[in-house]
Amino acid sequence: MKNALRNPYVYLMFVLPAIALYFLFFIYPMLMSVYYGFTDWDGLSKPNFIGLDNFIAAFSDPEFRSSILNNIYILLFSCCVQVPIIVVLSLVIAGVRRLQGFYKTTVFMPSILSTSVIGILWGYIYDPDVGLLNNLLKLFGAGPIYWLAEPQWAMFAILITNAWQWVGFYIVLMLAAILAIPKDIDEAAGIDGATGVQRAWHLTVPLIKPVINVVIMLSIAGALRVVDIVLVMTGGGPAGATEVMASYMVNKAIKYGEYGYGTALSIIIFVIALVLTALYQILIARRQERVEY
Amino acid sequence: MKKTCTFVLAATLALSALLAGCGGGGSDPASTGGTDTGSSPPASSGESGSTDKVEKFTMSLRHIQIGEPQKFRKAILDDVVKKTEEEVPGLKFELDGLEDSVNRFTKLPAEMAAGNPPKIMSLFGGAGDAQKYAKAGRLLDLTPILEELGLKDKFLNVLDPFSVDGKVYGLPIGGNAEGIFYNTDIFQQYGLNPPTTWDDLIKAADTLKENGITPFAVGSKGAWVPNMTINTFIGRLAGPETITGFTTGAAKWNSPDVVAAYTLYKEWVDKGYFTKGELGKEYGDMLNDFVAGKAGMMFDGSWRSSAFKNDAVGAAVAGKVAFVSLPPLPNGKGDQTSVNANYGEGYGFSADLNDNELKAVKAFIKNMYSDEMQLRGLLEDGVLPSMKLSEASVAQVSDPLVKQVLDVLNGAGATFPHFDSVVQSKVYTETETQLQKLIAGNVTPQEAADAIQKVQDAENAAAAAE
Repeated sequence: MKNALRNPYVYLMFVLPAIALYFLFFIYPMLMSVYYGFTDWDGLSKPNFIGLDNFIAAFSDPEFRSSILNNIYILLFSCCVQVPIIVVLSLVIAGVRRLQGFYKTTVFMPSILSTSVIGILWGYIYDPDVGLLNNLLKLFGAGPIYWLAEPQWAMFAILITNAWQWVGFYIVLMLAAILAIPKDIDEAAGIDGATGVQRAWHLTVPLIKPVINVVIMLSIAGALRVVDIVLVMTGGGPAGATEVMASYMVNKAIKYGEYGYGTALSIIIFVIALVLTALYQILIARRQERVEY
Repeated sequence: MKKTCTFVLAATLALSALLAGCGGGGSDPASTGGTDTGSSPPASSGESGSTDKVEKFTMSLRHIQIGEPQKFRKAILDDVVKKTEEEVPGLKFELDGLEDSVNRFTKLPAEMAAGNPPKIMSLFGGAGDAQKYAKAGRLLDLTPILEELGLKDKFLNVLDPFSVDGKVYGLPIGGNAEGIFYNTDIFQQYGLNPPTTWDDLIKAADTLKENGITPFAVGSKGAWVPNMTINTFIGRLAGPETITGFTTGAAKWNSPDVVAAYTLYKEWVDKGYFTKGELGKEYGDMLNDFVAGKAGMMFDGSWRSSAFKNDAVGAAVAGKVAFVSLPPLPNGKGDQTSVNANYGEGYGFSADLNDNELKAVKAFIKNMYSDEMQLRGLLEDGVLPSMKLSEASVAQVSDPLVKQVLDVLNGAGATFPHFDSVVQSKVYTETETQLQKLIAGNVTPQEAADAIQKVQDAENAAAAAE
């Protein structure tokens, strides 16, 4: 038996079933979708090979282009607004002496709810007639805002909901990093006369940079594949104002039966996500040195 | 030698794990089959009773009669299901209720693509639904069954949207007319005339608006809802024959008359005739607003009439609702009494059936498409029959709202279909996209119409090339 375990082929035999399943449910569908991306398959009749037509159509499709823009809004919002908020909140919570556990749990709470629950919950908050938000506005004498029904507000409403859902998760990541920094560094700076803000900005933030990088990368990846919250809250409406790449793909492929075109869109989304994360890795994340305490 | 032995052992172990996973599904029907036969005495070849040995089987049945407003329709379906189960030994239906648009636009297309639709399913007629699936060979050809059951000549002239090359693939359960429901209480309160002339309609809308009541309730999150209004506007402004002309090229979406329909809708949006924030409202919200008295009118299909019964969801306004067709438009073309009448919703059946299931389908059709059920649909649910009923039967209608619907239809000089049962699905999709953009103010009526015509041209060309 001992001899047998030294034979690498034995291990191969053990992983073979897993590889077979992986191939069946991951590699094979992926290869098939690349193939279908070049066809006009409608799910019912035989697919015809149409070359690059789907891809050309996608980039001249105004709806798809506006959905790419919407993804970019989400991306910019999560990197430029969400991440600073996450850093500040984490620093504040890390500095709290009493009830820290309570704050940690509270901010983390939204992350354990399913997106459908969050979408429906916020749907009520945004409700034009009975919603919390409009009732608040009414107190100040402002007229009702149709948050999810007006193109100029709907995207903003979704961004807020999406942020609310994910901020807590990232804060917990960040907190773990902050609390792992040895106390003596902070204390030494305190003795040297650095104020709290100075210590946070010049000591803590540089020390947790690797984690900030991870959070930014996760945010980029998250922003590119966001779809569930959009489908639950607006379905891409009103008039396509909140359509993101993935929701447009789902609508095209599943609702309107243009499977070939939908598959082509999914390939485009995949490539865009790959390129953006790679770019971030190469241009920014790699340049930073690892922090050693 | 020992090495090879362990190698083979490991391989067997690993593969058996894989096979165990795969085997689970396959062995299932066999084991249930085993218990079925196990209940009967051990089979011997000489047993004569084997012919009436009941083989149990289940059949999936997808319906869209869910929720309070549909309860009358569900009751009829339940009775048909019960009766069919009694008639076909061993049959058990598995009812699967889904919301209409989820079924029609999401679930059923995916199932059709995968080739595993429910055995019996709620189905809409038209190029984007029944005819598309029939051409792909997914639906059962019902022509021989209709022949066998003697139902062939019982239907009104309503089977075309469900037919391909003279073969019938689905059966409409009933018909509807689309028109205006209005709240008679509110109209009385403000001294308004019933909206039977264009001037009265506009006056009513303006008066309601001034008094803080929404003139027309609408929920445009699903664009098919405002598309009902657009459809009737087109039928009236461009003539009833326009709708069927889109696919033949005889009519164009961007012709001045059709653009006028979109312009009129946009005008009403701008005047505030429709629910504010309509793009965020569901179809159900529209009924709620109307029942709550927040809106004085709504443009909807006559299927909604059963919601205003005393024991239904709209009981609050029971007896205070009336139905009229859209009044004649001052600059309309063609017959201004024409209404949209559609026999779009019905049932279709999977092409993939075994003998037992085919028997069940026949029994289901016999029970569902009977004079009795058609009359019940009319009396209890306000659905117009899709089959020929005797005048005596129709005369039994006592519900005033259903009577008004019948009056509207009887008074109509012509009827036209809904374009969702005429144009190709890509074109219909475009009408939804463009209408929502029009409501949001992103496009002008002309731009919307041009965009739709562009898709229509491409689809017509593709159809001609086939």
